[in-house]
Amino acid sequence: MNKDVSGTIQVEGVSHTFVSNGEKTHALDNVSFEVPKNRFVSIVGPSGCGKSSLLMMLAGLQTPDEGRIICEGKKITRPDPQRIGVVFQEASLFPWLTAEKNVEFPLSLRGVKPAVRHDRAREALALVGLEGFGSRYPHELSGGMKQRVSIARGLVQDPPILMMDEPFAALDEQTRTVMGDELLRIWEQTRKTILFVTHSLGEAVYLADQVLVMSARPGRIIDRIDVDLPRPRRFEMMSTQPFMELRERIWRQIRH
Amino acid sequence: MAARYETALIRLIIIALLFGAWEFAPRADLVNARLLPPASEVFTVFFGLIQDPGFHGHLATTLQQTLTAFLIAVPVGALLGILIAENRFAGEVFKPLVFFVFSIPKSIFLPMFILAFGISFWQKVAFGVFSTIFIVMMTAFAAVASVRSDHIRVARSYGANLRQIIARVYLPSMTPVLLEAVRLAMIFNFTGILLAEMYASRAGVGNLIGTWGRGFQIPQIMAGIVTVAGLSILFNELVRWFERRCEHWRGDR
Ligand SMILES: Nc1ncnc2c1ncn2[C@@H]1O[C@H](COP(=O)(O)OP(=O)(O)O)[C@@H](O)[C@H]1O
Ligand SMILES: [Mg+2]
Repeated sequence: MNKDVSGTIQVEGVSHTFVSNGEKTHALDNVSFEVPKNRFVSIVGPSGCGKSSLLMMLAGLQTPDEGRIICEGKKITRPDPQRIGVVFQEASLFPWLTAEKNVEFPLSLRGVKPAVRHDRAREALALVGLEGFGSRYPHELSGGMKQRVSIARGLVQDPPILMMDEPFAALDEQTRTVMGDELLRIWEQTRKTILFVTHSLGEAVYLADQVLVMSARPGRIIDRIDVDLPRPRRFEMMSTQPFMELRERIWRQIRH
Repeated sequence: MAARYETALIRLIIIALLFGAWEFAPRADLVNARLLPPASEVFTVFFGLIQDPGFHGHLATTLQQTLTAFLIAVPVGALLGILIAENRFAGEVFKPLVFFVFSIPKSIFLPMFILAFGISFWQKVAFGVFSTIFIVMMTAFAAVASVRSDHIRVARSYGANLRQIIARVYLPSMTPVLLEAVRLAMIFNFTGILLAEMYASRAGVGNLIGTWGRGFQIPQIMAGIVTVAGLSILFNELVRWFERRCEHWRGDR
């Protein structure tokens, strides 16, 4: 009864077929997995295999045809931003709002008082390393900074779970590496459960405790790999034997 | 900053030169002074006009018609345009039709408006609305297209309801394009009203210009043109001032 379910996700037998203009796309096929509290789980798979669709369902924006998704012991039927914060590939900041107002956005939707909103947004911006940038507009920020704002927006309500859909895919290699380390720092500081979709195998392994490998469409989970590399992770680890073996194991399964 | 003053200065010099040429050319007999009276003569008439209560009456007629047509065409056109663009079926049916009608010169419909409304206030207003509403609708299509789906997705994933999505995503996204619609609407609308007045009317600035034209009163006509130009530029600059206020983020699409 009193089992602690905070920060947990269970995906149970989720299948989904999109129908648009009479054309059917079988996107997900019997996907099941569990994520315990505080875990960092990466999801990799060929593009078009249904990763974003899966996150849409977790975010409550799409109902699966079959199966169910349970978040903190409760079935997801609609967006629940106080449980799950989301970060997308494009930072998707509103260009007419300052960084701080963008971060405040989820709070303002709930009618949180301006003074409280303001303080929380500042804290969240400080957490992602953007102290003092609150009054900048998105076009005055670099790609990496925009993604930091987007992460701050995801964290501003302090949800136990953070979901990220290829958040660093649009960034250059260097920024991407820095952002990976930053994300790990934030994760260690806040102890969130993180579900991280990426198409970079190296990034998936480097960041995660566990990597879920998906097949080409219809997406199924074809492997679950526990990453037992020590933490904190270091850039140099990427050229070590165990790291490369894990990376190869994933590559063998998704290349065809 | 220096560059901005410089361009402003150059612009002023060009304007001054144009007025200088306008003053000089007829006086030096380079152009027929009956066709192009010197600037000073036109402005003397102009200052006389703007102190003339009779002219004020005509101006008021024109402005009332323009404003009424504007207040109908902009909200109705914007709303229709947004509804059509938002609904896939309506979009497929009506979008091409709007483009077709837009491409027809509106002036050829003037006789029909007189048949329908007589020579009246509402004939002018109806024609003004008709001249304007299609460009407003087309701009509204563009405004809807400028709303980014990833912005809507973000808002929804943070729990926004429909009203919040409209107020916090649609409106701010569409504002720059809708301001453009307002600007274009005023130009089309003013043109439509003046044309309707020149074609058949009992009052209004268009009516005056038509009468002066038949009487070959060129300085009066030109003073009328100065009035209309002044009003148009004033309104245009007003909207542009609003536009500039959202310009700092507009580039980031
Ligand atoms: N709303 C939708 N309507 C129709 N097809 C969709 C929709 N969303 C996704 N799809 C299709 O489902 C498949 C999986 O898409 P997606 O989840 O975006 O893949 P991924 O993120 O793994 O690249 C793709 O073939 C995509 O075209
Ligand atoms: Mg995707």
